[in-house]
Amino acid sequence: MNKTSNKRAVIVGLFIFIGLLFLIAGILIVGNLRNTFKDKMKVVSLFDDVNGLQKGNNIWFSGVKIGTVFNLQFYGESQVKVILNIETSAQQYIRKDSKVKITSDGIIGKKILVIYGGTSKSNEVQEGDTLEVEKSFTSEDMINTLQENNKNILAITTDFKVISKKLVAGEGTIGKFLNDNSVYSNINAATISLQNASEKAQKLIGSLAAFSEGLNKKGTLANELTTDTIIFNSIKTTVLQLQSIADTAAVFIANLKQTASNPNSPIGVLLHDKESGARLKETIKNLESSSKKLDEDLEAAQHNFLLRGYFKKKAKSSNADK
Amino acid sequence: MDKSRLQHIINTDESVISIKGLYKSFEDLEVLKGIDFNLFKGENIAVLGKSGTGKSVLIKIIVGLLKPDEGEVYVLGQQVDKLNRKELDALRLRIGFSFQHSALYDSMNVYQNLAFPLTMNIKNLSKKEVNNAVDEVLDAVGLMDKLNQMPSDLSGGQKKRIGIARTLILKPEIMLYDEPTSGLDPITSTEVIALINEVQQQYNTSSIIITHDLTCAKNTGNRIAMMLDGQFLRIGKFEEVFDSNDEEVKGFFNYNFIQ
Amino acid sequence: MINNNTKKYIFSRGIDDYFTGVHKAYKFTSLFFKEVIKKPFHIREVINQCFEIGIRALPLITLTGFIVGIVFTKQSRPSLEDFGATSWLPSLIGIAIVRALGPLVTALICAGKVGSSIGAELGSMKVTEQIDAMEVSAINPFKYLVVTRVLATSITIPILALYCSCVGLFGSYINVHTEETSSIISFYQDAFSTISFLDIFTGVVKSIAYGLTIGLVGCYKGYNATQGTRGVGKAANQAVVLSMFLIFIEEVIIVQVSNWIRYF
Ligand SMILES: Nc1ncnc2c1ncn2[C@@H]1O[C@H](COP(=O)(O)OP(=O)(O)OP(=O)(O)O)[C@@H](O)[C@H]1O
Ligand SMILES: [Mg+2]
Repeated sequence: MNKTSNKRAVIVGLFIFIGLLFLIAGILIVGNLRNTFKDKMKVVSLFDDVNGLQKGNNIWFSGVKIGTVFNLQFYGESQVKVILNIETSAQQYIRKDSKVKITSDGIIGKKILVIYGGTSKSNEVQEGDTLEVEKSFTSEDMINTLQENNKNILAITTDFKVISKKLVAGEGTIGKFLNDNSVYSNINAATISLQNASEKAQKLIGSLAAFSEGLNKKGTLANELTTDTIIFNSIKTTVLQLQSIADTAAVFIANLKQTASNPNSPIGVLLHDKESGARLKETIKNLESSSKKLDEDLEAAQHNFLLRGYFKKKAKSSNADK
Repeated sequence: MDKSRLQHIINTDESVISIKGLYKSFEDLEVLKGIDFNLFKGENIAVLGKSGTGKSVLIKIIVGLLKPDEGEVYVLGQQVDKLNRKELDALRLRIGFSFQHSALYDSMNVYQNLAFPLTMNIKNLSKKEVNNAVDEVLDAVGLMDKLNQMPSDLSGGQKKRIGIARTLILKPEIMLYDEPTSGLDPITSTEVIALINEVQQQYNTSSIIITHDLTCAKNTGNRIAMMLDGQFLRIGKFEEVFDSNDEEVKGFFNYNFIQ
Repeated sequence: MINNNTKKYIFSRGIDDYFTGVHKAYKFTSLFFKEVIKKPFHIREVINQCFEIGIRALPLITLTGFIVGIVFTKQSRPSLEDFGATSWLPSLIGIAIVRALGPLVTALICAGKVGSSIGAELGSMKVTEQIDAMEVSAINPFKYLVVTRVLATSITIPILALYCSCVGLFGSYINVHTEETSSIISFYQDAFSTISFLDIFTGVVKSIAYGLTIGLVGCYKGYNATQGTRGVGKAANQAVVLSMFLIFIEEVIIVQVSNWIRYF
């Protein structure tokens, strides 16, 4: 009698034990599985640099979590293919022309993937579609590009200087000048690269604005951000100026071409020559001062709080040399 | 067990404890192997037996601390192992159980030890009533001066007597003493024996007294039960039990005298 | 003989005993929940036990909570300094202490101090038959000893946990004050601005669970002590080990569950 009740106790105990085990495992697993029960679809996106994005990071659309990063794979030479796991309930809001970018959740938070934009003209995104990536600039990229850009502008300025010197020194009329193929292609190339540079700068300003906007969010350190905003605005103005100069230069070149194609008016040509020479000089002067200003702004940016990390690294390596 | 070997001497109409065919074992160890006896009203039975034969187990079954494997145990007309908690508690109020090692609550002083069963069981007692009851039982065991001492400050014999006093405070009808005189000097031992008899007279109790001590058994028991190997070997008047030629009884008898 | 032995156990002696123990613990726990709602309530004894437990654990909790507050703030400072965000320290520490550290530190200390003493106390009562003595005096020892103690730990430990959180925050304030000379009012304002009602609520629920665990485990081990004086030591020791183990498991589960609540 004693023995049978003992056996029953063992069996009941065993069942309680297993039951508890399942309960605990259930609670721990269900939390993570819960999302698996929702329907998911996969979408891909190609990045040059994922900035430390990891498997399982959240995907946001209009600030709502709609999925997670499913996987990351290297693709091509150095690109990264990111596979996004998106809840189908969000499918109708995401368009084929929606874009993807990587930002972080707060200033020291985890990386998140943000899907944004998209127009109702395009269709809903479908399983396996590729979403375009808008290049997201890190502060490093930004400074590098700005400096590179500045160098370009300086080089272009030098080109213009040479050309205008020749003009002013009266080394032949504009006709002769234009007939000299090498000089012509020179000025043409200079103009084109000037335009490119300014376009690039324009793009840069766009992302710069987005970057500073993100930082300007409530809850971050507003005090230091004010200075940031000022510097960014300053950089922005300078680049805009550069752009307008580039435009002017383009118009000027076009004018030159037109005049040159009319050989029947030598006086006009001469007049034009002198005038053109002066205008060219003016343009170059503007370019010079603009690029100088841009340099100063970049210098200021170095002392800026948010970009400090980048410059600290540089300072450290130079310290190490000492 | 051969029933003919049991010799019933006292015959009364009313038995307060009645046990039939009691078996009890722990895992592999068979402790009680068929106990049958009746305790009559107003009677004291002294149970003698070797250490480890299951004497303590027997009275723990009577009071419901242990459950029997087999057999019937009737106490005051109720089958102990079939009672629910409430009925069992009501029954236990009528039984006094004095533990082998006193089992005083060592976080309470003597007064609290004695008052505890009373205040926990009878609601709305005035402080005076409690004090009176405590004084009465302390007087009965002759330890009036120890009222505010802690159990750890008492001697073994004093603890035993306080333990008995604690069971008396609820005015039980049945007293179960587990080795009341073990480890006591002869003088104290005599005092405790006197106490047991006094209790029988004063409170009109029926008792089972478990002991190794022949003097105690002789002086307290109306009947003596010899317990050996989980069974009652003999039960009857002292002389009848020990007049026996039974080797085992004789062995116990001699052993006790050498001691 | 060997044949007989193999028949007797379903698995082996050790495993069988383990599951019998699980069954016993389950019965013990369910008995507690049955008895706790039944009269009589022994309210005085519950209050007594609350005081006992509170006074026993208070000095150690004060000291530990204070040190945890200071050390945790000190250690968090450098990483926040890199971002120039030391002004976040109060809210960060506030969350960490109220949500996690306060209840956990309190529970672990009480498991050590209170759990072991309950285990030892009931254990010695068991082996000296004091529990049996209560039983035969028609007092339900389970109600008088176990229910009151478990109730007392479940009431006292949440209070101690809140107290520990406050002391921890004060320790944190001392550190913040010496570095930034901010006032205590602004510190507490910062700290409490991020703490939601849910944080405090889960903190309290957690502590109640810990209190139940410490009380039940201590009583169970003490109540089932065997083997004389050695059993008492074993009961006290096992009470601490088992309750700490269970506290960690509960911590994980409660965090998981409270996260469901938090985000849905
Ligand atoms: N709760 C228990 N679990 C397991 N075995 C027990 C239990 N209680 C008693 N026993 C065993 O039962 C046997 C009888 O014990 P019991 O205490 O009744 O002896 P006793 O006759 O009272 O001896 P003593 O005169 O020394 O008190 C002993 O061998 C003891 O080991
Ligand atoms: Mg005994």
